[in-house]
Amino acid sequence: MNRAPSHRRRFGIGLALGLLLGVGLSALLLVGARRTDARVRGEREAIVTLNAFADVVERAGISGDAVRSAVASWAKAHPSVGAVRVIVLDGISLEASTEPADAGDRAAPRRLARDEKALYDRAQRLRTAVETNRQEGAPRKVEIDVERLEGGALDLARPVERDGEVVGMAEIRTGPPPSPPPFPVGTVLLYLFVPLAAYALAALIFRERRAPLAVAAFALLAGALFLFARQTLSTLEADRLATERAVAARATEEARLAPTLPGVAAAGLDPAKWDTDVFRRPRGAAAGTPPGGAERRGRNVFFGVALAALALTAFFGFGVAARLGRVLSRHHVAYFYVLPSMLAMVVLVIFPFLYGVAISFTDQTIYNTGEPLTRLWTGIDNYREILSDFSITTRAPDGSRVFNYQNFYWTLGFTIVWTVTNVAIGVSVGLFLALILNTAGLKLRPIYRVLLILPWAMPNYITSLIWKGMFHRQFGVVNQMIQIFGGRPVSWFDTPFTSFLTVLSTNGWLSFPFMMVISLGALQSIPGEIYEAARVEGASRWRQFRAITLPSLKPALIPAIIISVVWTFNMFNIIFLVSEGEPAHSTEILITQAYKFAFQQYRYGYAAAYSVIIFLILFAYGTVQNRVTRATEGI
Amino acid sequence: MARRSRDEFPHPPLHAILLIATLITVYPILWVVTIALSGKQSLAIADIPAQPTVSDRIRAVIPWPEKVSMANFTSVMTDQPFGRWLVNSAIVSAATTLLGIFLAATAGYAFSRFRFPGRRTGLMSFLVSQMFPGVLTLIPLYIIVVKWLGLGSTRTGLVLVYTTTAIPFCVWMLKGYFDTIPRDLEEAAMIDGASPIVIFRRIVLPLAKPAIAVTALFSFMTGWNEFILGATLMDKETMYTAPVGLRFFVGGFQQQWGYFAAGAIIVSIPIVALFFFLQRYLVSGLTAGSVKG
Repeated sequence: MNRAPSHRRRFGIGLALGLLLGVGLSALLLVGARRTDARVRGEREAIVTLNAFADVVERAGISGDAVRSAVASWAKAHPSVGAVRVIVLDGISLEASTEPADAGDRAAPRRLARDEKALYDRAQRLRTAVETNRQEGAPRKVEIDVERLEGGALDLARPVERDGEVVGMAEIRTGPPPSPPPFPVGTVLLYLFVPLAAYALAALIFRERRAPLAVAAFALLAGALFLFARQTLSTLEADRLATERAVAARATEEARLAPTLPGVAAAGLDPAKWDTDVFRRPRGAAAGTPPGGAERRGRNVFFGVALAALALTAFFGFGVAARLGRVLSRHHVAYFYVLPSMLAMVVLVIFPFLYGVAISFTDQTIYNTGEPLTRLWTGIDNYREILSDFSITTRAPDGSRVFNYQNFYWTLGFTIVWTVTNVAIGVSVGLFLALILNTAGLKLRPIYRVLLILPWAMPNYITSLIWKGMFHRQFGVVNQMIQIFGGRPVSWFDTPFTSFLTVLSTNGWLSFPFMMVISLGALQSIPGEIYEAARVEGASRWRQFRAITLPSLKPALIPAIIISVVWTFNMFNIIFLVSEGEPAHSTEILITQAYKFAFQQYRYGYAAAYSVIIFLILFAYGTVQNRVTRATEGI
Repeated sequence: MARRSRDEFPHPPLHAILLIATLITVYPILWVVTIALSGKQSLAIADIPAQPTVSDRIRAVIPWPEKVSMANFTSVMTDQPFGRWLVNSAIVSAATTLLGIFLAATAGYAFSRFRFPGRRTGLMSFLVSQMFPGVLTLIPLYIIVVKWLGLGSTRTGLVLVYTTTAIPFCVWMLKGYFDTIPRDLEEAAMIDGASPIVIFRRIVLPLAKPAIAVTALFSFMTGWNEFILGATLMDKETMYTAPVGLRFFVGGFQQQWGYFAAGAIIVSIPIVALFFFLQRYLVSGLTAGSVKG
């Protein structure tokens, strides 16, 4: 148990695990990338074939015997293509088909049967897509529908047009794809064993000297990973070139075939137009992503993997793992019990929080969520934008002052006012009612108590929606009551002040029961003899309240106030559902404003920075509060 | 208890104040009951003529429907998908409860009984996590749950998220309770050769039944009342939970106040009942937690 640790063994294990992680992960990534590439290549080739086929169909006139003979010859020249079909929307007819099922009395041309509605729908969908894209002048809906069938074959469809108008659909089904590239077992084993053998050799020379062993292990690991990465990147580059060549070859072959088909005019055939994306935009060098980007990303990935592998090696080599292992085994029961909940917290609370903090340093919006965060990094720009903008008011063109309600400091000020007024109302109403309820011998007390707690018991989103309804301009009961007394109906959500009153009354209604229950509990724990003694001494009722009641309430009320400040500060539902921030975001609190930035303006980075600031405010509050309560407890 | 009555306030004015306070408190609830029983979708209690008299207006604020009808209750459960939403909510809340108790009981026990490196950090991390603004974690949670785990519009995704919302409170609550259980029994069992798992299951859990009941109810309420995460993670209308569905009735351009009111009452009754059962513990738990914080 207590023999000296072997540096040789530790670095050996570290190197082995580092290699396993580094090479293994890189190999997995390589295979994944190659499989994706192969799939993309298959799709591109299929799209070229489809476009060529559609071109043939359009040139043969789309409907009639001419098309059927052209399609038949085309299919004969493509033994690898599973089946093709041509649908014409006008008349809902199957114009041509080489589908095995479409033989005998189901042979084309014929009207589509009822059970073939999916085909017709597909053609319709494509026609709508083309029209939408043309109207909006932007590629919004895919014009080539690619479906992956079981076994990996593709089923593609695109519209066919006559004089710029979509009249039908051409469909092809490709044959089964070539088998995907295998996992490079031999290469991986080579990269595992050669460095390990070299390390064994080094270990023989260096014996138990730690520094040279560490250098040897790290150098071998780094060297192996570097070579492997280089080989991988060149493989991927070769794949890319092969794809380009294969696609070009496909197009050339189609271009050679097309004019030989019966009834197909050869004039103006342009094979370069066939290599398109799913929006039928040509995939020239300009349209595609620059190849350098992919390569750089590949390098970054390898760099990350290598760092992780080196860290793993160091972790084992320097004995951290051994120490950790000892701690874990000594306390294994405790960790076993804590693990499930910690895991859940890490995955669904702590990681999202850190990820949110990371987003706050980027300018992520809904439009660039696909990009890695490193590419969107803007440093502290969001924070500077939020915190350095002091212009709560701006001058309108006519010289009058206009409030900018989305300014951070306005919202912060409003949040503070909101919190203070609410807690004040909650405490005073709650305490007042508690004092009354605490009167000795009061009848019906349990009934009052239950009824007065009801608002706390109701789910607060329901409460909010109820009050929203009651403040309705035309039908709400609040305006009806005002009119009973001869007042005019108020448009509650049209000015910041009245809007504030609605959320204030809702939250006041909602929050006083908590304070009441807390105060009542504390009041009931004050022994009656104290009051007795005070009365004997001749203390006035006010003096009794000041000298006995309030001090006894303090230990219960202060924590309750502290926690209700946090609750009110973050009271999302009331603001979000009652005033909805109206008018013009003037009654947003920080938390709802952050939500609006995220889910109405879709500025994720900005909203995240906003939320981090909220967190920091609360954290500062918590720390100060903690210190204050500790100080008061000390007294 | 009995004190000399001449030193007390006279009771009638106190009753008057309490009566008014109670009336204000109960009015919104009576209002929603009235709308639910009106059989109509309007949020007005009574129709007001073009030239209303004062009595018309008074009629419009008295929380009693012109005609009592159960139509809103029957049609919200049959014509509207509200029944389905209720089932979703019930399943999600029940699963949250089970998972929450399992996680909180094991962790709370370890935090109470064992001293191990990371114990303080773990306990504090539960507490600090309560301070994370929900909006900040909402976007990453959406990405993790919907895009990475593929659990968008599923009950499983919602259960996982709700459970992690509920467990910090539950862990602290249960840890506090376990602390009060004397260790003699466990030590005796340990001498008899019982394994820690057996001790936990056979001795500690049965003793902690009251605290576990409270955490169970708390977890259930978390799942049953949550609105914003549900609205964010559940895209499909058939997968809405009851809160999301209720908002759907009166949010945006929908103005189905009758359905909303009936649904609100159906949703509230169990939770209000639970609440009255629970509130004693809630109060002590919350204040205890904040003092420790």
